[in-house]
Amino acid sequence: MADTTIAQTQAASTKPSVDLIKTTGFLASLLQRYEILRGYSLLAPALVFMALGILVPFGILITMSFWTPAGFEFNTDFSLKNYQDAAERPIYGALVTRSLWISGAATLITVMFCYPMAYYVAFYVHRNKMLWLILMTLPFWTSYLLRVFAWKIILGYDGLINSSLSGMGLIEQPLEFLLYSQTAVVITLTHAWAAFAILPIYVSLEKIDRSLLEAATDLGDGPWTRFFRVTLPLSLPGVMAASMLIFIPTVGDFITPALMGGPDGMMIGNLIQLQFGRANNWPMGSTLAIVMMLSVGAAALVMYLMTEFLKRRVA
Amino acid sequence: MDVVDNLNAVKNGELSRRKFNKSLLAMGIGLLTVPYTQRRALAAAEDQATYFTWGGYDIPELFTSYEGKNGSLPNFATFGGSEEALTKMRAGFVVDVAHPCNQGVPRWIKSGLFQPLDTTRLSNWSDVMPDLYNIEGNVVDGKPYMAPMDWGQTSVTYRTDLFEVEGEESWGMLWDERYKGRLGSLASGGDAWWCGAIYSGVDFENIDSDDAFAKIGETMRKQRPLIRVYTDDTTSLQQALASGELAAAMTWNETATALKGEGIPAAFAKPKEGALTWVCGVMMHKDAPNVDRAYEVVDSLISPETGKFLIGDYGYGHSNIKSFEAFSDDELTDKGLSREPADILNAGHYQVPQTQEWETRMNNEFEQIKAGF
Amino acid sequence: MSSYINKPNPGLTVYAWVFIFVLYAPMLLIPLFSFNESIYLIFPIEAFTLNWYLELSDTAPMWDALWNSVRVGLISAVISTALGVFAAKAITRYRIPGKGPIVSFMMLPLVVPGIIFAVAILIFMNRLGIPLSLVTVTLGHLVICIPFAIATLIPRFEGFDPSLEEASADLGENGWWTFWRVTVPMVMPGIFASLMLTFTISFDEFIMAFFLTGTDMTLPMYIWGQLRFPQRLPGVLALSSIIILISFVMVFLSLWLAKFGLQDDQKGAGA
Repeated sequence: MADTTIAQTQAASTKPSVDLIKTTGFLASLLQRYEILRGYSLLAPALVFMALGILVPFGILITMSFWTPAGFEFNTDFSLKNYQDAAERPIYGALVTRSLWISGAATLITVMFCYPMAYYVAFYVHRNKMLWLILMTLPFWTSYLLRVFAWKIILGYDGLINSSLSGMGLIEQPLEFLLYSQTAVVITLTHAWAAFAILPIYVSLEKIDRSLLEAATDLGDGPWTRFFRVTLPLSLPGVMAASMLIFIPTVGDFITPALMGGPDGMMIGNLIQLQFGRANNWPMGSTLAIVMMLSVGAAALVMYLMTEFLKRRVA
Repeated sequence: MDVVDNLNAVKNGELSRRKFNKSLLAMGIGLLTVPYTQRRALAAAEDQATYFTWGGYDIPELFTSYEGKNGSLPNFATFGGSEEALTKMRAGFVVDVAHPCNQGVPRWIKSGLFQPLDTTRLSNWSDVMPDLYNIEGNVVDGKPYMAPMDWGQTSVTYRTDLFEVEGEESWGMLWDERYKGRLGSLASGGDAWWCGAIYSGVDFENIDSDDAFAKIGETMRKQRPLIRVYTDDTTSLQQALASGELAAAMTWNETATALKGEGIPAAFAKPKEGALTWVCGVMMHKDAPNVDRAYEVVDSLISPETGKFLIGDYGYGHSNIKSFEAFSDDELTDKGLSREPADILNAGHYQVPQTQEWETRMNNEFEQIKAGF
Repeated sequence: MSSYINKPNPGLTVYAWVFIFVLYAPMLLIPLFSFNESIYLIFPIEAFTLNWYLELSDTAPMWDALWNSVRVGLISAVISTALGVFAAKAITRYRIPGKGPIVSFMMLPLVVPGIIFAVAILIFMNRLGIPLSLVTVTLGHLVICIPFAIATLIPRFEGFDPSLEEASADLGENGWWTFWRVTVPMVMPGIFASLMLTFTISFDEFIMAFFLTGTDMTLPMYIWGQLRFPQRLPGVLALSSIIILISFVMVFLSLWLAKFGLQDDQKGAGA
């Protein structure tokens, strides 16, 4: 990679002629232990903070999911009632499934649209790659809420799409499914997460050793065969990373469904938020959060295994 | 994520490393020493009272007298719904003054987070209409907890050019099959459920019975397929009414007022079953750090200057009788208001305070219905 | 470089430009409507006005919110990048038993929906009796920013030769000195990328802020609150247009500045 080259040239030019000190056995083990210690101490600030920021809140979340609300307070006796409710009442399961669906669709579409773009920048842009990448990240510096509002202008009943379609005489009635629907949620999410797909895919494409492509050509592969035999399998890790980066956070989104979803677009995040707000049932909210996390984890695992399987088949 | 970084390496190369390094370090140190105080700390913001309210009430127009006295606005914290606010305060968030509505007052008092008001410290109190503070549960041992500020109705705003009213205006407009997919509703059960109760003919006194739950639930289920959007963000409802995406929606007064102000043909219905009416006001936190200023916030909010703005620009009623002097009877009627709030409030249906358990049950029930179950 | 890879591909080029257009279309509507006289974001545009910009100076709470967001963003960016530098160095330079699990653990926030962290931290703060403020928001943002910082920095540390540091140490420099004189300059592009990324994340973060803000709102929270009354929306649009403009100017300025040190792109791309 580019930076490695630079670093190495620098290393070559500045490396002094002093050789590394060769140490004997005892000193080496002492140094090693010292090194481990130093490693840990460097890691410690971030690790301690993350441990506090992850483990403790999660511990509380799990504990609370076994409580029940009692007016303004909590009944702290151990109870499985919340989990029972979550399993029995159809709304929870249905909303989790729907959330996985919507996020899955958004992820798939985002990755499909962004792959060619990343491919273009990786293989066809030779100057100003940086400019292209920045160009693709800039829109995301605008407030998300306002971008959502902008999408309403585009997708609305009298919006850009409907007025241009009817202007061209293609439709008589405005297309109503464009806004306040699951479609609207998927469109908004796809747009919002594009940068998260382009960057990892671009990196994995950029990393592909060009001589492999030449070798494939020399072996008589056409562009398409070459793509499916070499480029695509080698870029799968990037595709996988992109999918995870988009899929997992979007499952818990509640803003987009609240603003764009309409009655059928509600997701599990909305219900969790409600439990901590209006419905005022924090224990149930904690339970739902845990249920959601487990479902997301399971779905992500399935996705991962599928890609692994795919990789092996292609390879 | 190492892309940007790789490319930066190419671009930046060796060039400005040292310089960059130095300036970055300086910036970092500078930043870390910026204390977490308000920017308005220059104007001694710590001395100002904090007012916890809906977005839209955090504006200078409501605090002319406060600003006059203290040279600065109070601090604001905003919420999207009063239940969310109560949750946050129960979680330990301390403010001076908060903004609940009649229906929540007894529960808010019961939370033990508020102190009764000493009305002698409010110069405008004598002009506040007693009907508005003598509401259920508000006066304890002769002292009110909530100083009423704004009041109004929840009703149907409709586009007069798009919605053809059959007979009298009615809640049935939001259940009208002809406008399937062109109707909108507030998402909060705090409004919608009660409106459903009115339309189902359930007496508010019995709204906590199982029977009422079943009846209202059925009504709301019938409405659900007709609704294009449930939202608490009234900007969305208003935008949708303005663009013609919605023909009618459940809203508060201000939506119709704003639409008409922008020249869009709209009306705020007077449903024959009666509208849902409400009074909101301000309560003082028991640990209010700045009691003197807190009283000034309250006094400012119940002043006639504030009232004129609320009536004129938002189309809400106000608690100060003097606020109405600047408006003609016709103007008031047009906004769904009256000089005699009792006329409006008692003609409509006044929410009856409920227990926390009821709120939880109702919200869950309504949420299920909205989600299609 | 082989030649076939350089052959322009017109189909893909068209696709790329359409892609950029779709990416920018929604964002460009924001400045457009900030000049519209009507408070409603609907076509047709009624009349041109600069009023919303002129009124901006009156809306103190909005500027406070912007300032809060900038501060939270900068502080989150600096702290998370600093912790990230140490952690990335430790991960790449030292043999640490249990490294794999530790790294995966710290990456958890990348793959756990934000609402779960927000809620968990809210309960935690509540139990500790810590009042909600910009500090709690910053803490929340750090939880999401640190993994991003580490993920951005690790490749950079992997990318340069550790013998440089060793050489410096051999020359008698102490650890801290070596770190400042050798390590930091070497990973500077990574630090820059990490600062940018974490600032961007924090600046527009909504879910954590929604649960964790107290009196001082961040900009996304402020905008959310403004949705209550549409009269306030055009002002928000005007402010956002200014932010868009500033960010464009900043980015292109820094690109232009970087051009002085421009090395051949071709080399970078093909190496």
